[in-house]
Amino acid sequence: MKKIVEAEKESQQMLEATKQEISELRKGVPNRVGTMRQQILRQATEQREKTLADAERKGAQEAEQIASEAKRHVESLSKISKDKRKQAVERAIELLLS
Amino acid sequence: MSVNLDKLVEDILKESRAKAEEAKKEGLTQIEDSISKARAEAMKEADLIGRNTKTECDAAINRRVSQEKQKARLAYLAAKNMVLDDVMSEVQRKLVEFSRDDSRYRPFLLKSIVRGMDAIPSDSVKVALSESDLRRYGGPKLVEDALAKMPTPKTAVLNDEPIRTIGGAVVTSQDDKVRVDCTLEAKLGLMKTQLLAEISKILFASK
Repeated sequence: MKKIVEAEKESQQMLEATKQEISELRKGVPNRVGTMRQQILRQATEQREKTLADAERKGAQEAEQIASEAKRHVESLSKISKDKRKQAVERAIELLLS
Repeated sequence: MSVNLDKLVEDILKESRAKAEEAKKEGLTQIEDSISKARAEAMKEADLIGRNTKTECDAAINRRVSQEKQKARLAYLAAKNMVLDDVMSEVQRKLVEFSRDDSRYRPFLLKSIVRGMDAIPSDSVKVALSESDLRRYGGPKLVEDALAKMPTPKTAVLNDEPIRTIGGAVVTSQDDKVRVDCTLEAKLGLMKTQLLAEISKILFASK
């Protein structure tokens, strides 16, 4: 009879120990979740900063390309031949005096 | 008897071990579930940050590109306008030259006076000319020649006040109610849009 009582007691202790172990693990969950969440969001933020910097660089490159193309266009205007200018003036005079 | 008791004790311990294992397994599953849920939540937030960043980046690039394009357009337009202004100044210089070339200018002036007279819906008109034209061609002679070219007979007098113009005439009705400006400046003003379009076509048309 004594052995049975001791076995019951031991099994009770075993269950209690398991409950205690689980309870300790549960207590640690918020910390684990917090750390994990922080890590995930930190990575996302780092990625965001990198992506923004890349975009900034890409935008600057495209803008530079547009600016240099525009400069070329503007320069091409100063290369309009004298003949063409003369032709334009003559056409205007012709229209005015017709 | 003793063997049965040992078996009983062993069963009790075996059962409680199984129960403890089960409880532990269930507890761990719940913990893993809540961690998984939290991870999924955080990943969702990270994903949203990523998507928002992409939208923000696209918008930033587009903004930068369209600002630069706008700047380029304005610079090109300004440069184009400078070229057009130069050409228009040249046109004006040519008009001054034209007005000094008697053989070409006199017939033009005569035509301008006739056009002005014809446009006035009354029988008698006043013709105003520039001082230099009055001096060069003699006002009455010009008016006489113009009247001779009119399809319908009219009377005309010279306006006492000379006008300031490169060339051409201003014709008014006797009561000054109707005024027809046939000067080169007026024509230039009236035709400016058309002239700029024609000049642009010649200068800027792509090959």
